[in-house]
Amino acid sequence: MLVDQLLKELITKMGDDELIIGHRNSEWTGLGPVMEEDIAFSSMAQDKIGHAWALYRILHEELGGENPDQFAFMRSEKDFKCCHLTEMPIGSYDFSLMRHFLFDHAEAVRYNSLLQSSFTPLQLLARKVRGELKYHTLHADAWIIQLCKAGEESYLKMQEALNNCFQLACGIFEPGPNDAMLAAENIYPGEEVLYEQWIEHISPVLTKAALDLPERKQPVFGGRSGKHTKHLQPLLNEMGEVFRLNPEAIW
Amino acid sequence: MYGGGYIFDEPNRVQQREEQLHDDPEKLAAFEMRIANGEKIEPGDWMPAEYRRQLIRLIEQHAHSEIIGALPEGTWITRAPGFKRKLALIAKVQDEIGHGQLLYNAAETLGKSREAMINDLLSGKSKYSNVFNYPAETWADVTVIGFLIDAAAIVNQVANAKGSYGPYCRALDRICYEESFHLKQGHDAFIELATGTPDQKAMLQDALNRWWQPIMHFFGPPDKASSHSEKLMQWKVKMASNDDMRNQFLDAYVPKIQELGLTLPDPLLKKNEETGRWEYSDPDWDLFFEVIKGNGPCNKERLDVRKWAEEHGRWIRKALMKPGTFERQALPVA
Amino acid sequence: MNDSLDPRVNRLTLNKTDDPFKVEEGENWNVFEVFHQEKRGAHHEHVGCVHAPDAGLALVFAKEQYGRRKKCVNLWVVRSADILAFNQEDEDMFANNLEKTYRDASGFKVMEKINKFKAKAK
Repeated sequence: MLVDQLLKELITKMGDDELIIGHRNSEWTGLGPVMEEDIAFSSMAQDKIGHAWALYRILHEELGGENPDQFAFMRSEKDFKCCHLTEMPIGSYDFSLMRHFLFDHAEAVRYNSLLQSSFTPLQLLARKVRGELKYHTLHADAWIIQLCKAGEESYLKMQEALNNCFQLACGIFEPGPNDAMLAAENIYPGEEVLYEQWIEHISPVLTKAALDLPERKQPVFGGRSGKHTKHLQPLLNEMGEVFRLNPEAIW
Repeated sequence: MYGGGYIFDEPNRVQQREEQLHDDPEKLAAFEMRIANGEKIEPGDWMPAEYRRQLIRLIEQHAHSEIIGALPEGTWITRAPGFKRKLALIAKVQDEIGHGQLLYNAAETLGKSREAMINDLLSGKSKYSNVFNYPAETWADVTVIGFLIDAAAIVNQVANAKGSYGPYCRALDRICYEESFHLKQGHDAFIELATGTPDQKAMLQDALNRWWQPIMHFFGPPDKASSHSEKLMQWKVKMASNDDMRNQFLDAYVPKIQELGLTLPDPLLKKNEETGRWEYSDPDWDLFFEVIKGNGPCNKERLDVRKWAEEHGRWIRKALMKPGTFERQALPVA
Repeated sequence: MNDSLDPRVNRLTLNKTDDPFKVEEGENWNVFEVFHQEKRGAHHEHVGCVHAPDAGLALVFAKEQYGRRKKCVNLWVVRSADILAFNQEDEDMFANNLEKTYRDASGFKVMEKINKFKAKAK
């Protein structure tokens, strides 16, 4: 069925974004700037990976997809549909925090729209993760505002991080060829609508932090069609290293 | 997770005599009476200087062991196979950081700041459990650590939770609760390999062989009687002898390893049914002390990584020492 | 590239010199006590503390350090420095509490009196 195919594409790109950014953010576990933040950031990384797992389960149980572990740990790079923002190495904490802020607001906007989705499993998932995302954006907002109000050095770092992340973050909203059809089916409103909502959500925080939103010049697209940065393949090799020793075995 | 048995400061004789002169005998008697009655000592209470010093040392080492202990298992965070193992491992390593946080808080109530404790860790002045100076070479190492090192840590921590210092006991109650999750998930992953394919089983046996000596070292060197240690027992700082804890661990876990068809690399290991004590080859204690001195396979890396985390987090911590004080100047309007 | 078994560590630029690194006093901010409420209507109970630059981030941190397991519906945070307590030596101020039976239900033997009255009436 055509709608099923469209749903698969939507859920795959959502799940891949969550898995890859969760994987990246989990790299900070044990290495964070202060213990309390280490714990908080790790929890959110776990939540992202958990969301990916839930999305892959929907693919598996509702849409005839593969078992979630096989899907996550065995797929080849070109079959991943994550956006480039999620693939970038963790860099320094300013970059990781800014990515978290931009991504998590995008995620919150997306799940918020799914509360009205005609596809029940997505609607249920959106309801389930609402509270988690509230914390994630609360955490991100608190950090962005605090660091921008704490001193010139940290303010400048955050502005630079925003400049570095923004075109990549616009890539979250790479329009798909079937967005209109998905919107017509009331599954979700399509990337352009979500992009506008996202800008509306992040703008007041950026204003409070006195950060300048860069112009949307060249959004970094390509991830949704399986074209990736040089960072994704090594990440996948690493993630699957043990699993691929014997994909049939139980670990 | 923690171990290394009890390694306490041998107090400098002169210093000790000085302090004993300052410890008011009446207060000391009341303090010892409280402990004998099973009461807890709380932060603001009067306590002998030696009690305070040994507790700071004990809790601080325990805290360091948690945050350094996060590193060997962290080695496999990005490679854990499958969603369940991936999430459980991240959550577990996160818990270790959480335990460190709780323990530093407990130690801080005795008057040493967290910053000072971190500095003593980074400079090598303050130690952490030796077991974390060994590498986690394969995925199977993670299951051995998660099952057996955590099991050993629980033996140690359950004993310490009955000690006399309130804040430490309360931290340990919470820690022991979380450790029971670690032990269960470690045991689960351990069993999965032990009962899996021949390759999985071989991987596990290899890890077990490599970790056995560090595990035997875990509870620290054999007991030797000293009046110093008697005092710490009386004050309920030291709660059980290293050998007793080691024996308790062997009693509970050797059968759990053997029932899975795995072997242990010590031909002399067996329980003496008459005495109820385990007999084993003497683990190389010279090596143990070499590793404590900093010459283990991973000592340098562990501290370098910890230093990296502190160095790279510095701008954030320093900026927020004065939160809310910066306003960006308005941009000039052309 | 570092020579570590941890691919994460290999991606860090470690300072391998023996240069000392010192954290300054105050870099771990202030201490806030955390109180946990298990369900609506229950008391908030003290569960520990967090280091944070201000109350806002203290609450953000407390949520994960003290609210990530078990049931929790709300948390309080308060600067540790703002807590006032008695000294241990002052414990004797409470020593006679249990003797003051006029403050306690057990101090009033109602049934005894009723029974006595009934026995008399027979």
